[in-house]
Amino acid sequence: MQRVVVLGSGDGGTFTANLLASELRDEIRGGLASVQLVGEHLKHPFQPGNLDVAFKGTDPEKYIKDETELLRKGVDFIQDPAVKIDYASRSVTTKSGRVLGYDFLVIATGAVADPSKIPGLAEGSMNFHTGGKNAERIWQALQKFEGGTVVVAIAGTPHKCPPSPDEAAFMLDEFFRKRGIRDKVKIKFLTPYPRPYPAEKISKIVEPMFQEKGIEVSTFFNVDTVDPKERRIYSLEGEAFDYDMLIAVPPHHGADVVINSGIGDQDGYVPTDRGTMRVIGQENAYCIGDATNIPVSKSGVVAHLQSVVVAHNIVAEIEKSRDFLEYNGRINCPMEVGQHRAIFVSATYTSPPTDQTPSMVKYYMKRSFAMIYWRALNGSLERVFDLFFGKTRFPLSKPPEPEKKIEVKVTEGGKMDA
Amino acid sequence: MSATEQHKVIDSRGSFCPGPITDLFKAYRSAQLGDVIELLATDPAARADVTAWAQKSGNELVDIIDEQGYLRIVIKITKKRG
Repeated sequence: MQRVVVLGSGDGGTFTANLLASELRDEIRGGLASVQLVGEHLKHPFQPGNLDVAFKGTDPEKYIKDETELLRKGVDFIQDPAVKIDYASRSVTTKSGRVLGYDFLVIATGAVADPSKIPGLAEGSMNFHTGGKNAERIWQALQKFEGGTVVVAIAGTPHKCPPSPDEAAFMLDEFFRKRGIRDKVKIKFLTPYPRPYPAEKISKIVEPMFQEKGIEVSTFFNVDTVDPKERRIYSLEGEAFDYDMLIAVPPHHGADVVINSGIGDQDGYVPTDRGTMRVIGQENAYCIGDATNIPVSKSGVVAHLQSVVVAHNIVAEIEKSRDFLEYNGRINCPMEVGQHRAIFVSATYTSPPTDQTPSMVKYYMKRSFAMIYWRALNGSLERVFDLFFGKTRFPLSKPPEPEKKIEVKVTEGGKMDA
Repeated sequence: MSATEQHKVIDSRGSFCPGPITDLFKAYRSAQLGDVIELLATDPAARADVTAWAQKSGNELVDIIDEQGYLRIVIKITKKRG
């Protein structure tokens, strides 16, 4: 019996479990394999929909389905979150005390947006990264807003959905224009990066559009604290700005189960091989999506593409019938820029994003993804995605240049440790 | 450098924008005045990005050394709120 345990029932975990249930159909029927999906929530949100909830007033319920509706036959969903992962005994302990042994583990526990990490941020700001209900608060506040300064700030990196802060600024501009009060509103965009979007080619598209729309930008702004009473936001670099409404992307960290199990890095992300998606130093544990420490976009598309690799590699290990695959770092993050236009931030580990023109076609492709997301989770659209994304994985027999892992070494008293 | 000041080496080689500058900011967040941060980066954009950050923030860019295949950028933390 080969027992696969998948932790986390978000995009990556749900999709991986479904792929495994499909590929191991015969083994599961014959009692030779099992796929257990361990998650906390029965409700499964389409997280990118939170932008629409916050800035277009969409009902958050539109972007939620029951997890059980999304799972293929053969997936055993355990609604009882994991609280402890023990590589040594190959077991996972759930909140209720249940111990699940595994032969293969997939960690898909995501990232947590946590406003409490910055003093004053939770009290002084709103955000669309901590669920649909909080995104709805932004929409409600916007209805009453009659003028003043709206600050959009990135209060920590990395964060989920890299284009989302820029999109928020574009969507705010559009919202206030439609309301006819744009001339009474100053929109200010605060980013720790050197430019409005971290990737230079994309920034060259965004920057003139921000200028044209009157969206002010302050770069190298690493949020230090927020004073909710004075409505003022401060940077580590010593700058400060007043605001009437603060919409901030909170700092993120890894899931509690990763942190409490002592298997994460300093931010709670799991050290992971960027190609095979294996946990570094573990033969039979994999990690995908926002939970990894890989410096690649924390997004649903990335989790999706990594899921394909992980499911393939686990089946390769169980059936001993195929080569391993490696993920090539493909990202594809849509960004709405207003007036029914969008761009796609696309890249791989070796190819940075390229220049492009915002288009309506991309805008409607982005909008349509919200509709096909649910079907995408059961694996029935993979042929379409393969055509759209192109090459996203390759056999392990042709590996890329070896990756240098990011390491932080600290010495005291002036000694170098290079 | 006093005994309490730290010398941190951040190895961002193999990471592309915004990886190196993001790694620098993480180190900056936990740094104290007087600390020295050494950033190793293969991404050539790190040179301009770190230079611009140091200029804007008022921190001291001590040196940028072209090593074989990577940059060694040395920053002294001379300005930080709090």
